[in-house]
Amino acid sequence: MKRTRKFELYVAGVCIILGILLVGQVRTQEYIGKSQIPSRRLEDLSDMLRRSDAERMILEKEVEVLREQMSKVVEGEKTAETIRAELAKVRMVAGLTTTEGSGVVVTLNDSKRQAGPGESPELFLVHDNDILQVVNELFAAGAEAVSVNGQRMIATSEVRCSGPVISVNNVRIGPPYEIHAIGNPDALDSALHMRDGILDTLRAWGIEAKVQKLPAVQVPGYKGGLYFQYAKQVPEGAQK
Amino acid sequence: MILPIVGLIAGIIIALLTPLRFPIEYSQYIAIGILAALDCVCGGIRAGVQGTFDSTVFISGFLVNTALATILTMVGDKLGVDLVLGATVAFSIRIFTNVGIIRRHILDKWFKKTGK
Repeated sequence: MKRTRKFELYVAGVCIILGILLVGQVRTQEYIGKSQIPSRRLEDLSDMLRRSDAERMILEKEVEVLREQMSKVVEGEKTAETIRAELAKVRMVAGLTTTEGSGVVVTLNDSKRQAGPGESPELFLVHDNDILQVVNELFAAGAEAVSVNGQRMIATSEVRCSGPVISVNNVRIGPPYEIHAIGNPDALDSALHMRDGILDTLRAWGIEAKVQKLPAVQVPGYKGGLYFQYAKQVPEGAQK
Repeated sequence: MILPIVGLIAGIIIALLTPLRFPIEYSQYIAIGILAALDCVCGGIRAGVQGTFDSTVFISGFLVNTALATILTMVGDKLGVDLVLGATVAFSIRIFTNVGIIRRHILDKWFKKTGK
C-alpha cells in the first residue's frame, strides 16, 4: 500500500503540472480565438508582418529623404528671406524706395528784383549750378536722401541746364525748386547757412531761399528706368 | 487513485487563480508539454497498477521525454519540418497503450472482485 501511495504522489505532482499547462494552453487558445486569428493563419500573418516591416523600412527611408528636402526648403526660405531683407535695404540705399525721416526742405525761387541797366537778368535766376551746389552741400552735411522737385538724387542723377528749365533725372523741372533732404536737420541747416556759403551767395542775388527744419520729410523713390548698358559687375575674386 | 485526480484539480485551480497565459509563439511547445505530461501520468499509473513503479525512472522519464519533445519541436521549427507530429504520434500511441493496459488491469481486478 505504501508503494501505491508513493506512485500516486508522483503522478499527482505531474498532474498538477498537467493541470496548470492545460488551463494555460486553453486560455492561450481562447485568446487566439478572441483576437480572431486562427492559428493556421499565423504563418500568413507573420509573413504579412515581415512584408509590412520591409515596407515600413522603405517608408522610413522616404521620410528621411523628405525631411532632408524639407529642411533644405526651409533653409532656402531663410536665405530667401535674408536676401529679401538685404534687397529691401539695398533698394533703400540706392534710392528706389520712398523714404521718410527728419530733415530739411529748401525752397529756391527766382529773384523778383528787376535787372538793372547793364545787368544780365540771368544772374537773378536759379541755375542748375545753384541747385547742384545746394544738393552737394546737403550730401556733405550728411543727408541720406535728397530729392529735387520730387526727383530723387541717385547715382546716375544729373542736374543740368536745359534751356529755360533744369533737368534732373532727365525730367524737366521749373521754379520754385523744392529740395527735400533727410538727415540731421540742424546739421543740414547750418551747412546751408555757412558764412559765405551757398545760401549767402544766392541771397546776394536776391534769390529767395528758405530752409525749413521738419521732423518728417518725405523723399520719393526714383521712378525712372535703370539701364546699365556698359557697366558690368566684377566678381569679388576678380577685382583689381 | 484519488490523489492524481486531486492533483489535477489542484493544478487547474492554481492556474485558474493566477492570470497565467503563455505567449502565442510557445503554444506548440506547451501543447507538446501537455502531451508529455499526460503520457507520463498514464505511464506512471500503469507502472503503479502493475507494481513496477520506480520514482527515478518516472521522474527521469518525464523530464527527458519533455525535453526531447521540446528539442524536436524546436529543431522542426528551424528546419521547417513538422517533427512535432512525430512526437505527438509517439506520445499518443503510448498514451493509448498505457490506458489500454490500465483498463485491462482495472477490468481484471473488477472481475476478480465480482468473481469472488
